[in-house]
Amino acid sequence: MLELKDISKYYNPGTINEMCLFHDFNLKVEKGEFLSIVGSNGSGKTSLLNIICGSIPLDRGAIIINDTDITKKPEYKRIRNIGRVFQNPAMGTCPSMTILENLSLADNKGKSFHLGRGTDKKRIDYYRESLKVLGLGLEDKLDITVGSLSGGQRQALALLMTTITPIEFLILDEHTAALDPKTAETIMELTDRIVKEKALTTIMVTHNLRYAIEYGSRLLMFHKGEAVIDKKGKEKEELKIEDILGKFNEISIECGN
Amino acid sequence: MAYILQTIIDIATGVLEEGLVYAILAFGVYITYKILDFPDLSVDGTFPLGGAVAAVLILKGVNPVLTLLFAFIAGTLAGTLTGIIHVKFKVRDLLSGIIMMTALYSINLRIAGRSNVAIFDKDTIFENAFLKKLVPEAVKPYETLIILLFIALFMKLLLDFYMKTKSGYLLRAVGDNEVLVTSLAKDKGTVKIVGLALANGLVALSGCIYTQKSGFFEISSGTGSIVIGLASVIIGINLFRRKEKVKATTAVIIGTIIYKACVSIAIAIGLSPSDMKLITAVLFLAILILSNDRKRKVNSRA
Amino acid sequence: MKRRIAGMMVFVLMMALLYGCSAGKGDTVTIGIGQYAEHPSLDNCREGFLAGLKSEGYEEGKNLKVEYENAQADNSLAGQIADGFVSKKVDLICAIATPMAQNAYGAAKNTKIPVIFTAVTDPVLAKLANDDKTPAGNVTGTSDKLPVEQQLKMIREILPDAKKIGILYNTSEANSVSAIEEYKALAGNYGFEIVESGITATADIPLATDNLLTKVDCVSNLTDNTVVSSLPVILKKAGEKKIPVFGSEIEQVKKGCLATVGIDYYDLGVKTGKMAAKVLKGEKKASDMNFEIIDQAAFYGNTAAAKDLGIDLPKDLTDSAKEMFDSIAE
Repeated sequence: MLELKDISKYYNPGTINEMCLFHDFNLKVEKGEFLSIVGSNGSGKTSLLNIICGSIPLDRGAIIINDTDITKKPEYKRIRNIGRVFQNPAMGTCPSMTILENLSLADNKGKSFHLGRGTDKKRIDYYRESLKVLGLGLEDKLDITVGSLSGGQRQALALLMTTITPIEFLILDEHTAALDPKTAETIMELTDRIVKEKALTTIMVTHNLRYAIEYGSRLLMFHKGEAVIDKKGKEKEELKIEDILGKFNEISIECGN
Repeated sequence: MAYILQTIIDIATGVLEEGLVYAILAFGVYITYKILDFPDLSVDGTFPLGGAVAAVLILKGVNPVLTLLFAFIAGTLAGTLTGIIHVKFKVRDLLSGIIMMTALYSINLRIAGRSNVAIFDKDTIFENAFLKKLVPEAVKPYETLIILLFIALFMKLLLDFYMKTKSGYLLRAVGDNEVLVTSLAKDKGTVKIVGLALANGLVALSGCIYTQKSGFFEISSGTGSIVIGLASVIIGINLFRRKEKVKATTAVIIGTIIYKACVSIAIAIGLSPSDMKLITAVLFLAILILSNDRKRKVNSRA
Repeated sequence: MKRRIAGMMVFVLMMALLYGCSAGKGDTVTIGIGQYAEHPSLDNCREGFLAGLKSEGYEEGKNLKVEYENAQADNSLAGQIADGFVSKKVDLICAIATPMAQNAYGAAKNTKIPVIFTAVTDPVLAKLANDDKTPAGNVTGTSDKLPVEQQLKMIREILPDAKKIGILYNTSEANSVSAIEEYKALAGNYGFEIVESGITATADIPLATDNLLTKVDCVSNLTDNTVVSSLPVILKKAGEKKIPVFGSEIEQVKKGCLATVGIDYYDLGVKTGKMAAKVLKGEKKASDMNFEIIDQAAFYGNTAAAKDLGIDLPKDLTDSAKEMFDSIAE
């Protein structure tokens, strides 16, 4: 369970450009929930993910994971239980290393990176199997450097790498936004399958309203650091794209657009 | 004809010797510049650091082979400090190197006691009673070369091995994509420090060997080391860019030898000595432009 | 493309080597002169060396081929230059300044090539000579050790009331460090106290000079490369305060130092050249000759500088002078 308690975040505090992103914001994500977050640019979606992961510090409030306060933990320690896939496929892989080396790296998450052999030969078959499931033919390219793969292939690999070790939370940061529609579809289906298979608590930020509606068990719409829509269960299932679009228009008018 | 041939062999031997000594320095520069993407200027200080350690210990009667180890350790300490300055105190990479290089000048002077220490009359890894007995007369002219070849190859294999370990994977990852290292629940700062320590250890080792080979330590011997290292790495890597079979370490060794050969040629054809540095700079720039060596960098969004 | 470049490189290499070998054998002797840095004193040394050889019958272009290389104060380059001379099997290596001499000695150690050095302040400390001053190997030459005692005596004569002598030096120049020690050891005998100021780069000189000038009655220079190259700065600042600056060799007096009992690097070079000639002729081996020093240091004075400072140079000194300058060279 992930809980954000009364969190506040300001940009440029104390200056004329001071901007309040969150003010005493609260959010509770239950175990096993698949939360989709939509919202206009600058509404605080990505910042929220960064705050959870610890990439940006918090001004006030607390982040609690399974009853433990992790607010003070540095990013790299928090991330032990969290997997994160970024919008930019390059951020989830090492371009100059081979697919096999990338998977071996990912597979060692949470363990010590000592002077033992980098790739565990016994795991290669497992890697190959996992790659086969992606259906991108990567299982035959284990020794190819990741830099030569396409964006979609890399993102699929990144997703696989993120979820290869046991994690509790999966954070998806517009992870299909940089891909062409067909590849995006593939990656999204793959995501859904992995989330279900591993029963991961997932937070997905997306600009694709259809994905937000179609996937996940809860939908949040963000505006100015607040959740203007928060539907789950049956309510969420009944939600239609038009409803969200309507809300979007409302907000836009409010902003004077 | 035989005379000319002999001369060519002799010159080639000299170039190879120089190249192999500096290849170990270039390994260090390869780790910082190519793997960590960290232009580490502390190299100009760690190279003579290794030399100072070698000279002082050899004068104290320490086994010359052991000085290699001590020089390496001294280098790793210096590299660790550069890393801490950069990572913990958030000083920019170039500046942390400059700070360490400046500090090392005084430290080296302190270690050596003075700016020039000769060890001509002492045993070194190249000249000692054991080798005198072991090496037959015919091989004598190539004794130094053989020893250097052995050391350089050993270090190459060791480095190749390291790059295939889990720790080596992580080191390669941090230069490639820092974000991923964080995603692997590892502190990227620590990994960088380890990389810098290892790199500077290699550089100091190279300085230690250099001092033993030339028979004296000279405080100014570090000046320009970084240029030699960078040029060698860039020549080597770009020459074999499309040859995936050739390991980077092999490319670096060959790059260093080519660089030293170029210097040797420049001396031989009587280029004006005052122009040497300019020629080096132009050569360097030409290689950089030709290779258009821009590292694919991951845009980190925060 | 790459192959063509590689081919060209090999071609250039071959040509270079052939050029290097064209020295050949026969009546001409080939010597390699390696000079550590670009510096007027060291240049004088080299010219003197060639003049010394000439006086013994070895003339460049006739029966002497000279390969001259300058290491630009780059120790790695100095090493390669020395290696190059050895590979080309020159008949003799002349090494100017300490690091060059050490590199040459190291490179030629296991060959029959003799090394003749000059402008090495302390050949014993540099391990080019044994503690008893005999050669450490097939190597000998001349030392440019400063006649510190005579210099102190001269300063006392010109400035009877001075107490403190300031000396600027680069901490990385071995010659300077050993000279400073000698100054300190001898200063007391003449009622002086030495105030030293160590620097590490040319950029440090203006501040270090300002600081030093507030504490001393006069300044005495060493043969420190860094300091000497910034001499005009030091002279200007000292001139403003009417503090005399003593040189350590003729070039510095030419440039405006008040006076020196120093060495003439040209003479030192001539002496070295004559030693080299003995070796080339086969009269003596380098390993059989102890290194030499200029035993009779001479007085040099600059009357223009004296006038600016309002100091009268004692007549007995000016009378004994080897050379007096009446202007300040730019």
